[in-house]
Amino acid sequence: MGEYAGGKEEFAAVALRAAACRDFIEDDADEWVADEAQSCYNCRARRWTATSFVCMRGQL
Amino acid sequence: MKVLISIDDTDNLDSPGTGALAAEIARMIRVRNWGQTFCITRHQLYIHPAIPYTSHNSAMCFAADIDPACTETMIAASAEFLVEQSAVGSDPGLCVVRTETCTDPGALVGFGQAAKSQVLSKEDAYCLARRLRLHLSEHGGTGQGVIGALAGAGLRLSGNDGRMRGRLTLSGDASQITVKALREHRDIDAVQTLAGELLPDSTLINLGDKVKTVLLGGGSTLLVTEEVAGAVARWRTCSNQELKGY
Repeated sequence: MGEYAGGKEEFAAVALRAAACRDFIEDDADEWVADEAQSCYNCRARRWTATSFVCMRGQL
Repeated sequence: MKVLISIDDTDNLDSPGTGALAAEIARMIRVRNWGQTFCITRHQLYIHPAIPYTSHNSAMCFAADIDPACTETMIAASAEFLVEQSAVGSDPGLCVVRTETCTDPGALVGFGQAAKSQVLSKEDAYCLARRLRLHLSEHGGTGQGVIGALAGAGLRLSGNDGRMRGRLTLSGDASQITVKALREHRDIDAVQTLAGELLPDSTLINLGDKVKTVLLGGGSTLLVTEEVAGAVARWRTCSNQELKGY
């Protein structure tokens, strides 16, 4: 999977994506940036990039 | 002796995070009676394709007050801990700064600030560590974590960077609390708005689910923001989203 096109401020959209994702795993709470617990932004499999993130699921 | 202990690049995607290892080193220091430890701060570093990092490129640092006779033992044990506990494929680095004898704190702070917006090299890090006579060591992999470890110490020393690890536990189950009561908490030094305004002691604050402080003005600072109209208190604690830039 490539870089998420929505960037780092699409909180509602990535909460919906994470809700539908069977591979979601909460990251350490100190790394959470979204208020919704289940969010790609709070997922252990997201790797931040300069402008967005890359989903690394399948590598965990 | 007051020291800063900073580590970076100890994890992989499915290992405990660097913050958990920092907490274990702090616990070891207390358990072995080498000294007292203080809160751990997380410092965000530059995210750039030329920088290898696991998922977020952050360093972890804590302050400690160590019995001078135990300092070298503590450094050796911390290094050994990193060798044993760092994840496969990680590139751990350890930095220990004796803050009272650091000859050029401005240079260390400058390195930390540069690491938030520039690609730095191991040689840059070792060169500064040698000049300032700081402990900087690598413990596996490429050892690239020395850059973040040194930067983490500099940013902690700046007193104006990063979020405190963990969240605060406040006694009682009240949903509102005064600034005075918050400032009496052992892990809160100041309460201020996102705009930087210090609030009077009598101000009432609505507490969110997670109460977390940031390192500002040299202390553990609780940031608050304006509530929606009609709320009991005018101010509330900030959410994850509101603190993500720290």
